Amino acid sequence: MSAGDFILQTKDVAAGYGGGDIISNVSVDVESGKIFTVIGPNGSGKSTFIKVLAGLLRPRVGGITIGDEQIAKLSAPERVAKGVAYVPQEYNVFANLTINENLRLSTEFLKRNRQATDEQRSRVLEMFPEVGSRLTLKAGYLSGGQRQMLAFACAMMAAPVVLLLDEPSAGLAPKFVSEIFDRIKAVNETGLTVVMIEQNVKEALRIADNVMVLVNGSPRLFVPAAEIGSHDLHKLFLG
Amino acid sequence: MIAQYVLNGFVSGMILALPAIGLTLVYGILKFPNFAFGAMMTAGAYIALILNVNFGLSLLWSAALAAVIFAMIAVVIDQTVFRQLRDRDSITLLVCSMGVSFVLENIARFIFGNAARSFDLVIARPKYILGLKVNNEQIITAIIALAAMAAVYFILRHTALGRAMRAVADNPALAAVRGVRRENIICWTWVIAGSLTAIAGVLAGMDRAIDPMLGWNYIVSTFAAAILGGLGNPVGAVIGALAVGIVEETSTLIIPPNYRQAMSFLVIALLLLMRPQGLLGVATIKK
Repeated sequence: MSAGDFILQTKDVAAGYGGGDIISNVSVDVESGKIFTVIGPNGSGKSTFIKVLAGLLRPRVGGITIGDEQIAKLSAPERVAKGVAYVPQEYNVFANLTINENLRLSTEFLKRNRQATDEQRSRVLEMFPEVGSRLTLKAGYLSGGQRQMLAFACAMMAAPVVLLLDEPSAGLAPKFVSEIFDRIKAVNETGLTVVMIEQNVKEALRIADNVMVLVNGSPRLFVPAAEIGSHDLHKLFLG
Repeated sequence: MIAQYVLNGFVSGMILALPAIGLTLVYGILKFPNFAFGAMMTAGAYIALILNVNFGLSLLWSAALAAVIFAMIAVVIDQTVFRQLRDRDSITLLVCSMGVSFVLENIARFIFGNAARSFDLVIARPKYILGLKVNNEQIITAIIALAAMAAVYFILRHTALGRAMRAVADNPALAAVRGVRRENIICWTWVIAGSLTAIAGVLAGMDRAIDPMLGWNYIVSTFAAAILGGLGNPVGAVIGALAVGIVEETSTLIIPPNYRQAMSFLVIALLLLMRPQGLLGVATIKK
């Protein structure tokens, strides 16, 4: 596989809060149009890794590229402009803004032309019909599952090239979990690359193409999702 | 007679509403109570005084230009002082704003001295509307304050900047990953807060003499107004300001006027006991 097939790459990334590193030597190659899932035990650094990709935490060392462009030193808003969209695990919508305002805000500072924005909005509302049916409602009144859908829709409004998802099933009622993963797969089938971290390993592996197992802040295993069954995850997780 | 006091209180509340909105906007986005707004009012009044008395501009033009000039000064203060302490806790920034307040006040004292001054205003006979005495300054105050409040409401509710300001106040990290640059929003917040407090300074200067302590007269009442409405909520700040203005004014029916600001303390105390989040604030649980 050539470097041109990879839309997102990290090279020897190390990052953390305060003095110490939570993740170190993380080098990944994410194939364009695929779902790349990061799994690992609690405290393994999954959330730190995805925050580094989103630009909410700067890597102490290492490089991050989107296509051929180095983005490691860019801020979160600058990365959005480069095509990186991120859906946080919680507090992922603006509760005091209406659904419509949440959607509008996702593109208003991206310097996109109006026609392209309107077309993308139509595509997004088609993809997430439940979002478009009550645009004037404040997002704070939505249930957890509905908020997650709105958060996806907002991320999609920016017409990203890579969608980063931080535990999309966290805190959701069991009946919503499969629906969320089906929706992620549907979004991915439009050609969008997805990088997802997830605690619900079974559901995550159902839709993933490639998997990285992260343990104690370092990659322990890279494998196509179809082959993960041949590895003992319990042993990998526990070291 | 009570109606006259209510009317006077309503107009006083209009003056309070502008710095209360500024205070609440800065608190919502930067998460600290900006103690310097009193001195910012004073500075705004002095800038308008120069334009009005020395350059002969009408008070309306003087107020508008003072708002623009002080908006720029507010951005400079933010960039040179508050930006250096951006991620510090709110107490550090509060103390820093006290320092800014003293610096602004003493610059005014150094340039203009301690003598009381006043705008070059045409003295007009009061009008009587429905039996209530309404003087010219009260009408001007009400019109300017309402126009400023309407402009802020329009910006917050119907513009991209307003949506971004509300988004940053709600969740700055999420706003960043939606493409909103927080520093730009902070800059515009100071523009709005600076211009509102400068206009309030001009209105205050019409109501009483302009001296370096002008803004101090409004600090307790403005904090009471912002807290009453729910810190961080601009509509609440307006409602709180009108309520404080009316309570303070009508209280002079039963207590000496010198003690009327004590009513602001009473309002804050009662509110914190009964509804700590303010009238329109949202209760939160700190984990």
